[in-house]
Amino acid sequence: MNDTVVHVDHLSKHFRILNRREGLGGAIRDLFSADYKTVRAVDDISFDIQAGEIVGYIGPNGAGKSTTIKMMTGVLKPSDGTLLVSGNEPYANRRRNAQTMGVVFGQRTQLWWDLPVIESFRILKEIYRVDDATYEKHLGMFNELVDLKALYSQPVRKLSLGQRMLCDITASFLHNPRIVFLDEPSIGLDVSVKSKIRSVIRELNRAQRTTIILTTHDLGDVEALCRRIIIIDKGKIIYDGPIGKVTALFGAYRTLKVQIHNYKEGTSDQLEAALGARFGGDAAIAVEHTETGWTDVTVNQDQVPLFDVLRFVMETLPIKDVRIVEISMENVVQQIYDGALK
Amino acid sequence: MKSYFALVRGSFMAIMMYRLSFFFTVIGNLLYIVLLYFLWSSIYRGVETIRGMSFNQAFVYVALAGSIFTMVKTWADWEISWHITSGSIIMDLVKPLDFQFYFLSQTVGFMAFNFIMIALPSALVLLLFFGADVEMGVGLLFLPAGLILAFLISFAIDYIIGLTSFYTESIWGISMTKEIITTLLSGALVPLQFFPDAAQRILRLLPFQAIYHIPLTMLTAPNLDVRACLGLLGTQVVWVVLLFLAGRLLFTRASRVLMVSGG
Repeated sequence: MNDTVVHVDHLSKHFRILNRREGLGGAIRDLFSADYKTVRAVDDISFDIQAGEIVGYIGPNGAGKSTTIKMMTGVLKPSDGTLLVSGNEPYANRRRNAQTMGVVFGQRTQLWWDLPVIESFRILKEIYRVDDATYEKHLGMFNELVDLKALYSQPVRKLSLGQRMLCDITASFLHNPRIVFLDEPSIGLDVSVKSKIRSVIRELNRAQRTTIILTTHDLGDVEALCRRIIIIDKGKIIYDGPIGKVTALFGAYRTLKVQIHNYKEGTSDQLEAALGARFGGDAAIAVEHTETGWTDVTVNQDQVPLFDVLRFVMETLPIKDVRIVEISMENVVQQIYDGALK
Repeated sequence: MKSYFALVRGSFMAIMMYRLSFFFTVIGNLLYIVLLYFLWSSIYRGVETIRGMSFNQAFVYVALAGSIFTMVKTWADWEISWHITSGSIIMDLVKPLDFQFYFLSQTVGFMAFNFIMIALPSALVLLLFFGADVEMGVGLLFLPAGLILAFLISFAIDYIIGLTSFYTESIWGISMTKEIITTLLSGALVPLQFFPDAAQRILRLLPFQAIYHIPLTMLTAPNLDVRACLGLLGTQVVWVVLLFLAGRLLFTRASRVLMVSGG
């Protein structure tokens, strides 16, 4: 119990959102409307996170990831349930809690836009009351991991996205927090920067035994960093456990995206039936028509060779275009609902 | 305390990054003084005093109001509003700092810079090249405190306006309204003495005149004694306390409805 950094027990967050109507008339009526609906952004979730863990907190868009992070950082007040971070209630002790945590939001920066990077670090050093020796030690460590020195004199607004992210991660660890929240740290970055960021995160977790909660869309981040993942969808936790089982899922599944000539309503159902008849798999092949005009055929390669499916589809239907992609977060979630982990 | 000082230092450095903008502000401010000179010369053509103020008093009053403007204009309302609507307020809230003092510290640097680099030189130009006179009385001794309090009142108002973004998501209308009220009713554009007596009595009950009229009174009113100056400072202190508390109250309430964008 002593080593529990995050304790979440039957936690919920509900928002009241105005039901917007359509059109100008609707917008005018909305001004006086009291027609609210309740959105359960986070709905009765429970988990514990121990010191030194790197936990992947993942799920599709709008699943409730950010809401959970905002509650853990003390920005949002939980509607119901218990939430303790380092033994504090984050919302009630916002400032005390802030002292023990670091935060990186991929699309925002905590650095001062107009100032050279090193000045931002110095301000943060004062804000978090880091002593000189610790500060020097940390910066030394970061310089070994990634050569940041060359960037120190640059104003933050002149950094590239990848450079800025490295600096932001550095900044979030400066005060030796017990827990660091990384929200989409690799969003929009190219592969080499991604791998650099991953190795920095891994090293910081190892060196300081910092607990890290990582939310991301990038399954690669999760595979590279986390031993445990929590998958959330529609406000509920649908998986909490070792990553091993789930990686098998990411690994084995591929989505075959095809554009069908003269696509008609029901074509995807016929295709699914035909594939089922041909390959006999029950949950192995799922067909779904998407709004973008592509039809997704998700295949479990452990059961059916992808290229057999491709050949079959090409023979059965007039295909204009084909793409093969790795499974998306939405598909992983769908597979879990369909019982892939049971 | 040290952490807030680091923010002050940072904001002072940040504003120095924009050298070109600084030069234009200086030039703009000088042009404004020239414009005021000709405007008020023609208002005073053929008259000695208007409502008890000589040309020199009125001109110094409005010209120095321009200098005060550069230092009490905090832009904190826009800054806070932008942080709220863009959602980057989350980065402010995850810092172990008091929200109000966090934003105050970040505007103090701007204020200090604008005072040293713009307000003070403009005032010197005014005195040296336009032959303007200020009252060499006790008022001058109280002026530094008066200016600092004026800045704090201006910040406290901007802070409150900025926080209304929690409810309205846009502060354009309310901020423009505040801007116009402050400019018209504070003495920034026209000396308070020029208003009808009844209007003056109401204006003196509002916080806006404490930003411009009070420090300008210290500079231009003849025969101010220590007691009168203490009275002026006292009014400002009351406004600082009231408006800061109102801001804190509003933040406590507003942060309850907080919904940072995204979910």
